[in-house]
Amino acid sequence: MRRKGYKYFLAIVLCFVGIHLVQIQIDYRKKLENLESALVLMPGQVAGSLILGGFKGLAADLLWLQMESYWHSGQHYKILPLLQAISWLQPSYILVWTIGGWHMAYNIYAEVKTPEEKQYWYEQGIKFLKKGLSYPFNANKYDIYFELGWTYYHKGKDYPNAVKYLEKAIKYPHPDYVDDVLAHAYEKNGQIDKAIKQWEFVRDNYVGFFDVATRMINDLKTKGKATP
Amino acid sequence: MKKMWLIGVNTFRESIRKKTLYIILIFALIVIGASKLFSFLTAEEELKMIKDVSFSAIEFFGALIAIFASLAAISTEIERRTIYTLLTKPIRRSDFVIGKFFGVSMIIFVNFILATAFFIGLLIFKKSPPNMDVFKTLLLIFFELILIGGITLALGTFTSDAFNIICSFFLYIVGHLTSYGKQLIERTENIIVKGLADMLYTLVPNYENFNIRDKIVVGLNVSWGYVGYTIAYGILYMCVALFIALYFFEKREI
Repeated sequence: MRRKGYKYFLAIVLCFVGIHLVQIQIDYRKKLENLESALVLMPGQVAGSLILGGFKGLAADLLWLQMESYWHSGQHYKILPLLQAISWLQPSYILVWTIGGWHMAYNIYAEVKTPEEKQYWYEQGIKFLKKGLSYPFNANKYDIYFELGWTYYHKGKDYPNAVKYLEKAIKYPHPDYVDDVLAHAYEKNGQIDKAIKQWEFVRDNYVGFFDVATRMINDLKTKGKATP
Repeated sequence: MKKMWLIGVNTFRESIRKKTLYIILIFALIVIGASKLFSFLTAEEELKMIKDVSFSAIEFFGALIAIFASLAAISTEIERRTIYTLLTKPIRRSDFVIGKFFGVSMIIFVNFILATAFFIGLLIFKKSPPNMDVFKTLLLIFFELILIGGITLALGTFTSDAFNIICSFFLYIVGHLTSYGKQLIERTENIIVKGLADMLYTLVPNYENFNIRDKIVVGLNVSWGYVGYTIAYGILYMCVALFIALYFFEKREI
């Protein structure tokens, strides 16, 4: 019996050596494929995480449902902590960043009265979107770049930054309207040649935009201005 | 091999007579079905929630089934004293333990297939048939459940049922937190603490390895390489659990 016990002990040790080696490979692949949890545990958060165990996605969904209910009842400020919590639980859920940034820079912006407050919430929206981009798994999708570009373009009238982020957005698979907004941003930024080129690209590649793009190109060439 | 198979089939038959497992399965199906109630959300949000809720339900209720089925596998035989009759026959103790593991794995498999079929049916109904990433997630959940079953069975060879349940749930929670523990280890400068923590990181089953659902539901890709290594991890850990079970069961005075 004792000899058999040694055999089992040896087999277990060998298995653990294998487990250790495989775990090194898994950890390496987690880093490589951005599968590591981006959660950084603070002492006060351990208890919450303990309850959640492996169900972070589910918790994020429940908070999202709560957010929907606040949204429909017009309680815009109550949405803010929920956005932070969801983005903490599931930072790879890109919709939370784009909706959060838009919510701050548009909805809360519209609700506050003074220009200082409006500027504050515009900046908060931008800051939230940039935080979303700081996660590597979000940085290779067009969504947040577009939302940043659009917010700079439309809300901030900050055209150099709008062009900067929209140019990044079109590097990744994206819908047709991203190219359209970039063409407008080029024009507003004073880059008329680039705007014409971009409209030509839109005209040649997106059938639905053919008439608009043709008109824009003509206006830019004849009047030097197309966007109202 | 035939003896192990017969013990496995018998364990499976005994378990399917138990109402507890049906109730857990029904709960799982209700939760998966309830995820259809999110139709007031946009299509993208709804699909994410259906997948989140379903994956979580398959895993959580699957873990309950794995723990309760494994818990009863050996202890019931001892309580009913049927084990004495069994062991007087030309059956090795190792055949008995491995057979029980097969039986428990069969129960987990059947319950998993039923819940999964329901979930896939729901996805097809929502006109979003499952892609390969969904199957990768399900495959890893299945191996996690088998590992949970194996560990509970191993604990059952040398602990009481109550202690086994507590231990299994504790390991389930801690096993999902090991990745976060590693983040803390990396910040520790004390070499002794770091060494001990690293050892614990290898010894405690890392269930979080099997958890890719949070990434899959938001459209991130997971390679087959990762899935393969995680399955290898699961199989190695199952071997550890079985060796522990064999060691203690052979030592046990019955």
